[in-house]
Amino acid sequence: MSLRVGSPVAGRVVALSAVPDQVFAEAMVGPGVAVEPVRAKADVVSPLDGTVVTLHPHAFVVANGDGAAILVHLGIDTVKRKGEGFELHVVKGEQVQAGQRIVTWDPAEVEAAGFAPICPVIALDASAEALADLALDVDVAANDALFDWSR
Amino acid sequence: MADEKAQKILAALGGRDNIVEIEPCITRLRCELEDGSVVDEKALKALGAHGVMRSGNVVQVVVGPEADTIASDIEDLL
Repeated sequence: MSLRVGSPVAGRVVALSAVPDQVFAEAMVGPGVAVEPVRAKADVVSPLDGTVVTLHPHAFVVANGDGAAILVHLGIDTVKRKGEGFELHVVKGEQVQAGQRIVTWDPAEVEAAGFAPICPVIALDASAEALADLALDVDVAANDALFDWSR
Repeated sequence: MADEKAQKILAALGGRDNIVEIEPCITRLRCELEDGSVVDEKALKALGAHGVMRSGNVVQVVVGPEADTIASDIEDLL
C-alpha cells in the first residue's frame, strides 16, 4: 500500500539536507523533504487524511489509522515565536482530510523576524527507502504530491 | 512505563538539580542545564533518543514526537 503525502504549503521542494537544522537535515526523526515556501500569507493544509495528534502553532503531526504520521514544521526555531503570527483552524484530536487547512501563517513575516521559514515535511520513523517519487526541485501548490510512502 | 522513562532521562541529564529549564519542541527536548558536561549521551540513546546535540549548557535530546509527553512527565518530577 502506498500513501500519497501532499505539500502543506506552496513553494519549492528541496532536499531535507538543505534545512538549517541538524535534526531535520540528518533525518533523525525520519526521512522526507522540505518546502521553501512562497513568501506570502497562506493557509497550511494537511498532507494526508488522519487525526491531528500533535498541534503547536508552528508545527503539527497528522497520523492516519494505519499508524503513518507526518510531521510538518513551519520554519526553523519558530517555537520561539510563541505562536505569534500563526492562526490555528483545528484542535488537537480533530479528524482532518488531505488539503484541509490547519493553520494560517506568513512566511515573509517569519523571515523578517529572523527565522528560516523553510518547512520540513517528515515521515516519522519511516525508513528512507520507504519514500518514493520525491518531488525534488520543483514548484508545488499546497496539496500537490510531495512523495509516496510505501506502507 | 512512561514515568520510569522520564525518570531515567532526568537521571541521564544529571538529575533534577542540574535542570534549569526543559522545553519540548515537537520532536526534541531543549534542556537548559547547570552543567551540560555531565549529560550521559549513551544512556539517552539507550532510552530511545535519536540524537543528542550539545551547545554548552544547552542540550537538545531528539526523542521523536512524544517529546511533549516526556517533557510533561519530567516536569512532574521536578
